[in-house]
Amino acid sequence: MPAPNMKLLEPIAKTLSILGGLLMVGVMLMTCYSLIGRNFLQSPLIGDFELTAIGCGMAMALFMPYCQLKRENIMVDFFTARMPASTNAKLDRMGSLLMTALYGVLGWRAGFGAVRAYEGEGASMLIGFPDWIVYACMCVGLSVAALMALAQVLGMVAEQEEHAA
Amino acid sequence: MSPMSLALLIFGVMLVLMVVRVPIAGAMFVAGTVGMILQADLKTFLSFTNNVAYTRLASYDLSVIPLFILMGHFATQGGISKALFGFAAAVMGRFKGGLAMGAVLACAAFGAICGSSVATAATITGVALPEMRRHGYSGRLSTGTLAAGGTLGILIPPSVPLVIYAILTEQNIAKLFAAAMLPGVIAMVGYMIAIAIYVRLVPGQAPEHDEAPRLTAEALKGVVPIAIIFIVVFGGIYEGFFTPTEGAAVGAAATFIAALMKGELTRDKLLHCFYATALSSAMIFMIFIGADVMNAALARTQVPAQLAELVGGMSIPPLAIVGGILLLYVLLGAVMDELSMLLLTIPIFFPIIMKLDFGMSAEHTAIWFGIMVLMTVGFGMLAPPVGLNVYVVNGMAKDVPLAESYRGITPFLVSDTLRTLLLLFFPGISLYLVGVLT
Repeated sequence: MPAPNMKLLEPIAKTLSILGGLLMVGVMLMTCYSLIGRNFLQSPLIGDFELTAIGCGMAMALFMPYCQLKRENIMVDFFTARMPASTNAKLDRMGSLLMTALYGVLGWRAGFGAVRAYEGEGASMLIGFPDWIVYACMCVGLSVAALMALAQVLGMVAEQEEHAA
Repeated sequence: MSPMSLALLIFGVMLVLMVVRVPIAGAMFVAGTVGMILQADLKTFLSFTNNVAYTRLASYDLSVIPLFILMGHFATQGGISKALFGFAAAVMGRFKGGLAMGAVLACAAFGAICGSSVATAATITGVALPEMRRHGYSGRLSTGTLAAGGTLGILIPPSVPLVIYAILTEQNIAKLFAAAMLPGVIAMVGYMIAIAIYVRLVPGQAPEHDEAPRLTAEALKGVVPIAIIFIVVFGGIYEGFFTPTEGAAVGAAATFIAALMKGELTRDKLLHCFYATALSSAMIFMIFIGADVMNAALARTQVPAQLAELVGGMSIPPLAIVGGILLLYVLLGAVMDELSMLLLTIPIFFPIIMKLDFGMSAEHTAIWFGIMVLMTVGFGMLAPPVGLNVYVVNGMAKDVPLAESYRGITPFLVSDTLRTLLLLFFPGISLYLVGVLT
């Protein structure tokens, strides 16, 4: 596997999380608009709850690769704290392998869901937002997260430490 | 395989994986997968996974979590904290240990717009720690105060752990927030009392006299944006103008505007808000998904339901059972992350609690137990060996050894324990505002 391609994963993960953040800002603005309409102008925005769920749902999936990049998926390091760093690094690779499987299964099922929703023309109840777009977006986020975890198993991304705070 | 041995196997797989550093979400997912395939087949498992990501990620009720997290990060990056601490220090400055009390007050006020204890601790530490050190507060007392004060971020609404409890137990978020308000204020006052006693008992931790900044109109401005945001968000929720999820979106927008008006929200800081929101929300949602798979596998064994029947039929006083569960939380919280602990155990313990008779309505029991659980979560953020808040604050105080910081939280752990007992024996304290506000 060519290493340079793996280097692309980091900017991709960052870009996806910015997209996710913008989606959330969109939800934020949409909610304000909807509330003004509902409480002051007697013109409620139809399907605002759906848009919130869809927007945040897509954002959450797009956030996954960056979280995996930073190894922010929380784990218990109490029992292995005294082991040599090399042992812990090996354990972390095994952990990333399991995370690859987790993201992989979820991403695959989301892709499957996208195809099924596209063929069945599934859509959200009130505004008819096509389900396949949501599934496809989740498929992208989860698949990139799976690739990210795989790259960590293979030792192809530089390890980084940063805390959310 | 008998249902009991299956349930034990699922738990066993999860525990083994967790011990060897597998992320908790992954450990729960793998254990649940094994359990489901053993009880049914691969096809059942796969059709279950078809929707698990979609239902959890694109859920209106859960959207409240990332929105509150985003709001917290806007507040953190928006430069609100410096003026806030100036105000708090001016209010409390006249007392001995006043700057430490001011830090607690600042944490409490910041906690009113931020739902995370780590973010609250880190934000207030950034502005308060240098000031406290400069005025001669010991490393022990200043880091201990800030780590403990940080837990006010979750004890005072909004609170991410409380939202998670509400979702897991299908309770009303607004009512739980109302229930958390008085206990949150009690926590703040309790911490201040702890400081007052500590600086008198242990000499050399705080200066004899703080040069208290005066409470001027200028200082008062420090608290205005936060007060407005809090009143808009919670006023709107309790007056019925909007749902908690909408409240979180409005709060995020208002905090965003406040940060823009401060002129501190640069492009880089905005991106940082997105990244930080990505990290904490993706982490939480992955645990949700892992816990879903695990709990579905466990529920199939029927063991959790039988356990609830069994415990309900035993002649142990209900309060003793709650006490036992809380004690178990303190122990579990010592080694594992508090949010994962809730997602793992609430589906098992909550049915047990609801089968017991506390002389309250089912809803009141659920709300009161939620507040009790929240108290242990706060405790777990401080208690050794892994008190996340202590780590974060200590990491920002380069010259203070970790052992000193742990020594510094002792008075606050005493205060936590007393408050937890108070709320355990007097549910009315938590339930009072629920009746008034909703």
